[in-house]
Amino acid sequence: MPTTLRIALLAGVLALLSNLAVIGFIDWRTNDDAVSTVRRQVLEQGKVLADVYRTGGMAAVDDAIDDTMTYADPQTAIALLTPDRREVKGNVVSVPAAAFADPTGYRGYRNALIRLRGQTTPREAALVVQRLPDGQWLLSGRIAGEALTIRETLERSLLIALILAGLLGLLCGVILAHYVGQRIGDIARVANRISARDLTQRVPVSGAGDAFDRLGGQINAMLDRISTLMEELRLLTDSLAHDLRSPVSRLRSAAQAAAEADDQNEQEELLGSVIRQADSLMRILTAVLEISRSEAQTGRKQFTWFDVGELAAELAEMYDPLAEEGGARLEYDRPARPVPLFGHRQLLAQAVSNLVENAIRYGSGGGEISVHVTPGERQIRIEVGDRGPGIPTERLPEARRRFGRLDSSRSAEGAGLGLALAEAIAHLHQGELILQDNRPGLLTALQLPVHSQEARAA
Amino acid sequence: MGRKILLIEDDRETAAYLAKGLNQEGHSVEQATNGQDGLFRATDGSFDLIILDRMLPGLDGLSVLKALRAAHIDTPVLILSALASVGDRIEGLECGSDDYLVKPFSFAELLARVNALLRRRESRVDPSDHRLTVGDLEIDPLSRTVRRAGRKLDLKPREYLLLEYFARNEGRVVTRTMLLEQVWDYHFDPGTNVIDVHVSRLRRKLDEGFEKPLLHTVRGAGYMLAA
Repeated sequence: MPTTLRIALLAGVLALLSNLAVIGFIDWRTNDDAVSTVRRQVLEQGKVLADVYRTGGMAAVDDAIDDTMTYADPQTAIALLTPDRREVKGNVVSVPAAAFADPTGYRGYRNALIRLRGQTTPREAALVVQRLPDGQWLLSGRIAGEALTIRETLERSLLIALILAGLLGLLCGVILAHYVGQRIGDIARVANRISARDLTQRVPVSGAGDAFDRLGGQINAMLDRISTLMEELRLLTDSLAHDLRSPVSRLRSAAQAAAEADDQNEQEELLGSVIRQADSLMRILTAVLEISRSEAQTGRKQFTWFDVGELAAELAEMYDPLAEEGGARLEYDRPARPVPLFGHRQLLAQAVSNLVENAIRYGSGGGEISVHVTPGERQIRIEVGDRGPGIPTERLPEARRRFGRLDSSRSAEGAGLGLALAEAIAHLHQGELILQDNRPGLLTALQLPVHSQEARAA
Repeated sequence: MGRKILLIEDDRETAAYLAKGLNQEGHSVEQATNGQDGLFRATDGSFDLIILDRMLPGLDGLSVLKALRAAHIDTPVLILSALASVGDRIEGLECGSDDYLVKPFSFAELLARVNALLRRRESRVDPSDHRLTVGDLEIDPLSRTVRRAGRKLDLKPREYLLLEYFARNEGRVVTRTMLLEQVWDYHFDPGTNVIDVHVSRLRRKLDEGFEKPLLHTVRGAGYMLAA
């Protein structure tokens, strides 16, 4: 799998680079000035001798060796050896055979354990070993002591470490790539099955609580939400198809009756009913449209700041006569101060009016309908309570469903979209619709963040 | 009294139906079937009212409206639209239209709005503080007092606004949605007869104890204040 390979290579390269950095740092920190000076001097000396040989020949080299032995400091090594490595002249007594291998590599430079004349033990030296055209060996160098050995060992170890690190990095990369590939493969398999229309699939969660688990969890939550929405959509289309049937069939029979009516008054009456049925159909469609618009969060650009207290006052005044006709008193205590909210004034007016109409329609019998606005620092609560029969707690979820009117006779006025629309408008404001027992009666409330865009960003 | 109305509507059936109805009311109707043509005709400014469909081929209704308003042509515009959501209505009004009517609509509703818009244009010369009289009803918009046959009526603020709106449209049909939009400034469709309840309360205060009623119900359309 190319992705796996890429991940492996990337991990390997990254491991190599980071090791290179560490090793480079060690190299830099341990670099000994004395050692590098010795190396430079020895290389320089070797080059000078080579030049001397090239310009002055063997005689000049002889002189140079003599000069060196006479004037240079006692740590300096210089020697001319026969092709079979016996001493011709110089101060080097013993040189290991290994020092003569490959005299052309790096200008003949190497480290070797040599003993100078007058010294008792061999010591580490930086040496340049050159082979002259006549087969003789020319050695020049300098005793450098322990530092050189340590340096040498360190450099070799660092090189080995670097190679090992690279290989290990590559190995880690392969393991990592395999692991990542497997976890992603799990998710991809689920996605594949979902594409094949099996929405019940879920990403396995290992329980390690790692990023993959979180990703899987989020994907699962998303899938849950999608299935809920799909289910809602299915329910909605089903109930829309079902609920439009009865008004359409009423409309159809009224139209038919009008067509067959002989009496003009009767005909007019029936035609009026046709128009009323058509209007109520339109109302249902508009409400459904409004709900999906609000759920889709369109209309946020029409948000403004306004006083919820004033809006509620306006609506309370508007619905007071209607409540009175229904035999109930509508009470509203306007908060002493303005209650500013950033939202869609028209849609919230509609949401609150739906709650009030609902209370009047079903709760007027209780004699009292109360509207409350509770300001809060972050949340505003708009409550509408009645003292009617209420809704049993276990049936509350049903009540907020679209078309979820609780009396089974759907011919009664109201298509059962009022609460669903109020809830959708609450969602548009990042808020929620609350339904609870008013002991007795039903309490409906819109709980809204003061500034929903802020709340969203938080 | 006939007026010049420009009808910009691409649906031939609707256009023919509207033109026929408006002609019967005595208005002369010129038609355009797309946005460019409509805008071109509207720019001469000689119309008393423009009825504008929102969804038009080529240039859409709102663009026509914006172009008109940008050219400082302030002919009243009534938008007709199948886009029925509250947001759509607000958007239409914010673009500079004077009224927004959702399809499908009854001709009575359209006519009531057309008449209200024409009337508004005509009464622009009248200062708003001018006293309004309808029969023996006298309204003083400055002090917001109402007298009928010399007797002062005690109205609540909203009842006063309702009555003033009726009086400014004296002799013309005013529909329930017009009242909701103009008097309450709400653009949704209430599921109850809340407007009728307000009107019947106003009627009780206005007509009770008088022989001749002023506030009439127009069946299938709305209400009308007339002496």
